This record gives sequence, structure tokens and C-alpha cells, in this order.
Amino acid sequence: MTKLLVTEITRMGPAFCVIGLQREKDTIRSVRPVSAKANSWLHFPYHRGDVLQCDLSPFPGAKPHIEDRFSTCGFRKESTVPEAEVVTYLRKAEIGDTLPELFGCALHENRGGGLFAKPPEAKRSVCGTVTQNLRLELYANELRATLALSSGEVLRDLPVVDRDWRDFIDAALAEGRGANRLGRLDRFLNSQFHYKVLSCPHHFVRLGLTRPYHDLCWLMLDTLIPLPKHEWLEEF
Amino acid sequence: MAPIKDENQWQRLVEECFQREAGPQAPIPNSAQDLIETGLLDSMGWVSFLRALESASGLNELGALLTERTPSLESIFQVFKEAGAKGPSPRADFSGAKRDGMPTSVIIASSCAAVGSHTVPSEEIDRAFGMPPGKLRLRAGIESLAYAAENETELTLGARAAQQALRTAACGAQELDWIIATSETQRGYPSLSAQLHSQLLARETCGALDVGGACLGLLNALAVAQALIASGQARSIIVVTSDVHSRVLTPARVAGEFGGLFGDGASAFLVRAKSASTSSPAYTLGEFFFGCAGQYARAIRVSGAPNGNLDVHFDGEALSRAAITRMEKALLDVELRSGIARSSVRGLATHQPNPRLVTLLAKQLELPAEKFPAVARTFGNLGSSTCGVALDAILQSANAGSASADSKLGPIFLASLGPGLIFGGGWLVCT
Repeated sequence: MTKLLVTEITRMGPAFCVIGLQREKDTIRSVRPVSAKANSWLHFPYHRGDVLQCDLSPFPGAKPHIEDRFSTCGFRKESTVPEAEVVTYLRKAEIGDTLPELFGCALHENRGGGLFAKPPEAKRSVCGTVTQNLRLELYANELRATLALSSGEVLRDLPVVDRDWRDFIDAALAEGRGANRLGRLDRFLNSQFHYKVLSCPHHFVRLGLTRPYHDLCWLMLDTLIPLPKHEWLEEF
Repeated sequence: MAPIKDENQWQRLVEECFQREAGPQAPIPNSAQDLIETGLLDSMGWVSFLRALESASGLNELGALLTERTPSLESIFQVFKEAGAKGPSPRADFSGAKRDGMPTSVIIASSCAAVGSHTVPSEEIDRAFGMPPGKLRLRAGIESLAYAAENETELTLGARAAQQALRTAACGAQELDWIIATSETQRGYPSLSAQLHSQLLARETCGALDVGGACLGLLNALAVAQALIASGQARSIIVVTSDVHSRVLTPARVAGEFGGLFGDGASAFLVRAKSASTSSPAYTLGEFFFGCAGQYARAIRVSGAPNGNLDVHFDGEALSRAAITRMEKALLDVELRSGIARSSVRGLATHQPNPRLVTLLAKQLELPAEKFPAVARTFGNLGSSTCGVALDAILQSANAGSASADSKLGPIFLASLGPGLIFGGGWLVCT
């Protein structure tokens, strides 16, 4: 059996993609449990910070998704680790401060400014990083992040696939929340968001690569810690 | 960029941008078709398509305006129409300067100051520069200096002030059209404005401009910002000053009578066009004027020596005389041009070479010294940021007092000077 600390739950269409940390001797590395049928889970009732017992077996996954592992017998929750401690472990796993360090390869830009990696070049599909600044924006119904790495390099318009942040945005725009919801959300993202997220002592970001799509893997924001709190909705 | 007024131009622009994203052979879809649901574009492609359209049309808020609408060409045309009806966007129409015969009012929507977090008593600076203890306090009136901590730079101080100013106005960095920076100590590249651009996460199409002028830098930058907004080329601009003298004017490089006067600080001002929806009182930029009194050019000269040191020519006495004379003249000109009696101003945000000169200036103008925020006395001469930190102090006190007494929102005078001897003045009124 393997102990898996859940660090990423991303929302991709109707399904969830899960990544966790696994200790291997002296190192901590990211692994992605997948089923025999799909890379994602239609039902995943756990949370970031949960420690799950599971059975994971490696298989020769396609680059750069070398973290994929077959999960053969489901999950059983064992305990929960606080958010700050999750970040302590994430800092010991894959981490990069500059664009080439993120996925061990050069990143390319398309004409529209989107960043992608070429699958044969990328050495991994997930990486943590420290940001100097970060902004979330609801752009034509799409949640996007722009961030500055500690190296000063800027990544623009990354799709935000973090399940909790997407759920939070959905909740903020729910009809029951009254008038001018979009304007109120904008104000929150342009003001309080910065105080809450960037001043958080364990602020951390994990970036990921999509599965190859037309032979390219696009960058996305997998996880933004701190995770949003439901009570923040009362503030705007 | 020419104004985009007719629908044929929108059509061409949309089609070209669409084919850039979907491929040159891709047929133009039916305008009502949901581009994502039908798989013509994925969400990455949709955002990329809109970014291209924003860049080509100058309508920077296209994405925001399309939120809660179907991702279709029809929605885009509708947004273009609505935006056209509301008025031109920045860069799409340069005729915005005097629409309907009314000049565009330019306001300071928010401000913030940040000083070096290490407070050093002036006696410590006396010692560091090999001067008798008490010299800075007794001769210049400086009680303490704000020095940057090890992790503080022009960028971090400037970004801190800018981010706070943006947050106060709940303005996202993506709304900025320009970042205008000024500093008399940051000399590397990428320039300060470019570094701030990355740090603040402004849009790629937001301009980054560095303005010189040393201690006059803030007034230069505000005048540029005002002109860009008044001409209709911009709506929101952040003006940032930032100076870290403690790493440049060190005891090894300059004499204490000069280097000991300077501290480290930054300021930021969100400058915007006043809109009909601006309900609360705000300070509007009045006119600016500038000049150069070359007869004082030799009073202060700073240049890089071949050995890497700074060559500083500093005639303290001549400079003090020139500073007082010119600042007084500039402030009297402000009074004359604005028609505002100096006795009625809420405060004066001026350059403060040192506190003694500020006291003298107040006396010459027959004004209480309290009208000049005590910047140099507690932080030192902050270069281009002296004026900025002083202006922020006046604006903050006005905001704090605005709820209780309207009379407190009196006008503000600005005046500063820099080596050359360049000088400038201006004013703000609450509207």
C-alpha cells in the first residue's frame, strides 16, 4: 500500500484530475493516480491535505506525464495534514524558479501569447514555484491567472483548473448572491484577493502541463494555496 | 490607430483574428454559433483570439465585457457596438481630448507611499560619513533617515506603493494603460517601469515609460500622465517614483554634507479620467508648468567617474539659495496661474532638499510650516519621491478628514526642482 498526500485536485470538464505526493526513500515526488479506464475521476470525494491509502503501480506513461500511476484498489482516507504543512512538503518536491526549470525544458509561445511545452522535451508535467505576484481574472467566462515567477519572468493567461478556486468563483457568481455579482467579484479579485493570498505565509503555486493536444502541452495553474475559504464570500 | 467606427471594419478585424487562431483555411462560422461548444475553438483558443482582437482594436476590456455572454462572433460584434456607443476606447480614438467641447478631467484616484523600513538616527549617519555628531540635525534639521533594508530596492518599494494604490482603488493591474516611473537612483536595465510592469502583472499592451528629472521626476510624470489621458490615449495610469540613495551615495563615494541628506522611499499615484460615475470627491490635476534656470547649472552636478565612483560637484550654499528662490517663484506662479490664494491650500507637496530650507520657504511665503508634510525631517531627502511622499501624506489626510469637514479638502500646490536647474509647478483641486 502507498500513502498519498493529496495536493492537487483539478477540474477538467466534468472530471477531476488528482495529484499527490509520495515519499520514496529520502525524496518526495508527485504521482498522479489514474484508473485503467481514464486519466481522471468522475467522483473524488477527498480534499487537499488528505492522506490516502491506495495501491499505485507504475506504468510507462507517455512523456511528459511521467507521474501517472495505476490505482488498483480505490482510496481510503487515513488522516489530514494542515494546509501550511502541505506546502512544506510541496517545497520538498519538484520545484522551479525560472521558466526552463519548471518542466526541465524550453517553453514556447504561440501567436496568441499562450505558453506550451513540446512533449518529447518536457521532463515532467507538474512543478511547484514561488511567485512574486499573482492575479486572477475572469476573462470572457474563463478563469485565468497571470503570475510573475521569483525570477521576474511573467506567465500570462494560464487556465486555472484548481477545483476549489473554480468552485469558489462559481459560488461567487451564483444567482442567489444578488445583483452586480460580476462587478463585486472583480473588486474582490483586484483588492482583497491580494491581501489574502499574497500575504499568506505559505502562499504557493503548482503549475501543470495538459495532456498533449495537437502535439503540444499547454501550461495551466493546477493549485493555488491558500485555498479559498467559504466565508470570504461574505466579504463581497 | 484610426478610430474603428463602421461595422465592415469590425467584421474584417474579427475575421482576420479568427483565422489567425483557427487557421487560414478555417471557414468563418455563423455569427450566432457557440465557438467553444461546437469545438471550433477550445478555451485556450477563445482567449487567444480575444487577446488578438483587443490588441488590434484597442478595446482592452473586451474579455471583461464578454463575461456572461455566449462565446460567439455575434457577442463580440454586440460588445463592439456597445463600447462604440459609450465612447471611444484608449488608442481606438485619439479625439477624446475635448469631447462635447468639455476638457477631460484627470484625477488622482488613489495614492500610497513606502519608505525604507530601516530608520536610522541622523547621528548614526553623521558618524558613518565622518562628520561631527549632531551636524545633520543641527545644520539641516534632519532627525532620522529611512534606509532600505537589505531586501528592499527601487523595484520592491515602488511595487509596494503601486500595489497598495491599486488595491485602494480596487483597480486591477490589467486596467492600466501605462506605467510611468521615475527614479534618480535606478540606472540599470530593464528599466524601472519595465520591471514594475512585470511585477504588477500589467497587460502586455500596457505601456512602460521612464521619465527623468531627478527631484522633478514626479511632476514630469504626472504631466505626461495627464496629457496621455486628456488626449484620449489612456484611461488609467500608475505613476511611480522610487529612489534608494543609501546604496549610491555611500560614505566611500560622496561627502557627508551631500550624501548624508538622502533617504530611501517611493510613492505611487493612480491617475484616471474623471468619469460621470466618480461619485466621491477626488483631487483633479490642474495645470503644470516647467522651466530651466541654466544660471544655476553648476550648483549641482553628478556624473560617473571612470573608476566607478560618483563625481559630485555640490555647492551647498549656492544650491540652497537657488532652491529657495526658485521654489518660492514657482509657488507664487502656481498661485498666479491657478487663481488660488496660497493661504487657502490644504498643503504643499514640494521638493524638500532639507528641513531647514522648508522652514525658510514657509517663512518666505508666510505660511505655517505644517502645510509642508515633514518628509525630509523624518525620512531624509527622498529625491524624486520627496514630492510624492509629501503629496500622498496630504491626500491621505484629506481622505481621512473629508467625511467631517469639506473645508479640509482645500487645493494642493506642487513645486519641485532638479539639477540644471530645472523646475516645475502645478496644482490639484478637489472636485
